[in-house]
Amino acid sequence: MASRVANLGRFLAGLLAMLFLYLTAVQVVWGPQIAEAPQNPRLALAAQQIHWGRILDRHLAVLADSVDVEGHQVRRYPGGMLFAHLLGYRSQRFGLAGIELRYEPALLGLPARDPWQALQQAFGQAPRGNDLVLTVDSATQEAASQALGDRRGAVVALDPRTGAVLALTSHPSYDPGVINARWPVVVRDPGSPLLDRATQGEYPPGSAFTPILLAAALARGHLTQHSQFDCPGSITVSGTTITDPNSESHGHVTLAQAFAVSCNVTFVRVGIRAGAQAVLGTAQAFGLGDAPQFDLPTAPGHLPDPRTLGIRALARISFGQGDLLVSPLQMALMAAAIGNHGIMMQPFVLSQVREPDGRILAAYAQRGSREVLPAWLAAQVTRDMVDVVDTGTGAGAQIPGIAVAGKTGTAENPHGPAHAWFIAFAPAARPSVAVAVLLENAGGEGEAAAPVARQVLEAALRSQSAERSRP
Amino acid sequence: MNTLRFAPESAARMTFGVRTHEREILLWAIPLGVLGLAVVHQTLYRSEPWVPVLAGATALAGFLIVHAALCASRSDADQVILPITAGLSGLSLVMIYRLRPDYLPRQAAWVALGLLGLLVTLGLLGDLRWVRRYTYLWAAVGVALLILTVTAGVERTGARQWLVLGGFTIEPGEIVKLVLVAFFAGMLAETRRMRMLPGPHRWTTDLSWVGPMLAVCVGSLLLLVFQRDLGQAVLYYGVFLAMLYVAAGRRDYLVLGLAAFTLGAILSYGLFPHVRVRLDAWLSPWPDPTGRSYQILQGVYSLASGGVVGTGLGAGHPDLMPAAHTDMIFPAIGEELGVAGAFCVVALYLMLLGRFFRVATRAEGDLDTLVAAGVATTLGLQAFLILAGSTRLLPLTGIPAPFLTYGGSAAVSNFLALALLLGISDRIGRRPPRAGGDDGEPGC
Repeated sequence: MASRVANLGRFLAGLLAMLFLYLTAVQVVWGPQIAEAPQNPRLALAAQQIHWGRILDRHLAVLADSVDVEGHQVRRYPGGMLFAHLLGYRSQRFGLAGIELRYEPALLGLPARDPWQALQQAFGQAPRGNDLVLTVDSATQEAASQALGDRRGAVVALDPRTGAVLALTSHPSYDPGVINARWPVVVRDPGSPLLDRATQGEYPPGSAFTPILLAAALARGHLTQHSQFDCPGSITVSGTTITDPNSESHGHVTLAQAFAVSCNVTFVRVGIRAGAQAVLGTAQAFGLGDAPQFDLPTAPGHLPDPRTLGIRALARISFGQGDLLVSPLQMALMAAAIGNHGIMMQPFVLSQVREPDGRILAAYAQRGSREVLPAWLAAQVTRDMVDVVDTGTGAGAQIPGIAVAGKTGTAENPHGPAHAWFIAFAPAARPSVAVAVLLENAGGEGEAAAPVARQVLEAALRSQSAERSRP
Repeated sequence: MNTLRFAPESAARMTFGVRTHEREILLWAIPLGVLGLAVVHQTLYRSEPWVPVLAGATALAGFLIVHAALCASRSDADQVILPITAGLSGLSLVMIYRLRPDYLPRQAAWVALGLLGLLVTLGLLGDLRWVRRYTYLWAAVGVALLILTVTAGVERTGARQWLVLGGFTIEPGEIVKLVLVAFFAGMLAETRRMRMLPGPHRWTTDLSWVGPMLAVCVGSLLLLVFQRDLGQAVLYYGVFLAMLYVAAGRRDYLVLGLAAFTLGAILSYGLFPHVRVRLDAWLSPWPDPTGRSYQILQGVYSLASGGVVGTGLGAGHPDLMPAAHTDMIFPAIGEELGVAGAFCVVALYLMLLGRFFRVATRAEGDLDTLVAAGVATTLGLQAFLILAGSTRLLPLTGIPAPFLTYGGSAAVSNFLALALLLGISDRIGRRPPRAGGDDGEPGC
């Protein structure tokens, strides 16, 4: 019996000894990582000791600041719902989101490397955190939000020359200033107001995808803008018939004209002629299928594998349907790269970190860049995109006196009426603004999104000229 | 010179010349606890009166009284067990003072009462024949207490495991665990004495002795599941299997028992929503981090925020955890004393377990062996269940950590368990070992 007693003792000792390994893992190896999780209420408690830095727009208008209410620090968002998805929120119970989360160490005045340890060291030393200056322009953001109105959708506007984000809007929105009280309502809202559709929404692109087809076809040289096509209103590929909206026949068209009127039949032919490798290779070069590097979390979207893509699937992809998903941010980057002579600038939103006394700690003019298209090809696609606005489906985006390049998209989807897309940039020759607009289930033609883009472009251009005339 | 020595001095030397190990370790462990109380007082309650610290120190001094009594009675009992529990009790009082200062005097009183109970039990107990004599009485008492809890108990934090008696809330489960050990030990020792073991392995004959134990065990489990006290259910079942294994040495029963446990676990997951909630909160806490999984996640954050040496007593935020002074006292230690402090707790339990099993393997007679092994398994398994549960290694159950968690019933019952073990270890070597493996009743 004694040997069995000893066995039992060894077994129990073994169980307890497992705790040595487990505790080492939880407290030492993964400890700092777990402790830094935003859900750890200790971070918020420690953060209460420090006066959080402000968040400012590019003209130093206050987007978020802190006020003292009965000994407690309360975060105020003067814009209310306007900047919700960009700024995020700050809650002891529900944690942090957006810029508040991403730049938490800077807002607390800490070195970014190891927030938790720095937090412990900085106890009592940093009464005020640092201010963040963002690249966004309140006027452009307001124009985007007003243009969207009550509709569900997203707008992304950026400066193609630098990648600086000028506006980032997602509707429906929420008020981050009252997130604690409104949380139960907000999380149950069927419109998912917490979702940032601009960076995280994934949608089929519809014919807003066709600039990629155009680039893929023109790059290979056996098609030009003047290549002739015949559009009978429908085309049959491997037994599947694809029709243009309303089965409308476009007759004899050049490639440029087909692009301007968004002729699906022609682009099915273009896609099949170019081949899956060329089409999807170009899409990949534009960064589709990869999550863009950005200050906020981004969705990768989806591109199919060209090696396993059948001809019917290729036909559907050729007008932006099928197994294809993109985010509004990705589409804005695509427009920006075409406008910026084929160079895609990495998007960013943080331009400066300032100490409370205004001293600049860090400043960013741009992040990274890469070549997506050769300049001559970008110029040809731009010319065709100008035609879309001047004579084609994008007429709603015309701005008197300024050449606007654009492309509409109508994205059929399983969730109801088609989504409306519009991507654009202006002035077409040397663009300083690029924009992507998505309207969920707007129905009808893609034209619904063009006026939204126009209002955003106008607001951004107005802001920029005011900026230039300032000393 | 020798002839001049006074008799009282010689008596004193004889008394204090024994149990020197115990005294030496106690004289480290007790001041350490008092120092901890003083540190907490100076850090957090500087402007308050020192009364709670004095109460805690007095309770810890009680260990010295027990030591003196053991010396006076020339006890041969194990000399390490008492100091280890003094260390754990000291840490317990320190953490309770830090987390719930209003509870410290009460807990100090419970420790003192437990030590008194230990002394009385040691004085009255003698050998353990009474355990066997009243075997079925133990079963009846245990089941009756559980039934009383189910029918008249009150619910706290999701489990109906408390009885209210004249202003005191008692946790009958902590008493029942000892009563059940007595019942199992009595049954099994009797079975061995009757030479029903080891015999031809026929399940039908085995049923005559396994049957009653199984009935009591399953009955208790059902009651516990209804009162939502899953930790105690697992504990009782584990002790039952362990004692059956020790007495009978039958692998097939062990396998059968574990299979039945798995089946029971799966069934209760399907049948009882509260079981499902607990398990889901443990396995995937992320869907509901602010609701059902709040406590378990806060435990992990608390531990992780401690790091290697901890934040220091009073400098962390273990009070963010619900039930920090009861269910979550171990993560609280991990946060403020770091992985170093948490390792010390595990090491103290391991040492205690080591001494317990040292006693159990050397105990003379089946009854002593079975009681010692049963008590050792109870406390060891209990420590593992709550230490692992509060750190998310296992699902969390509200079972108290022996000598650590706030609570009176647990303190009293654990010190009674200690009395049993000290008594058993005292008997080792007192009587010449007898052949035959019987537990050797004098005059029988």
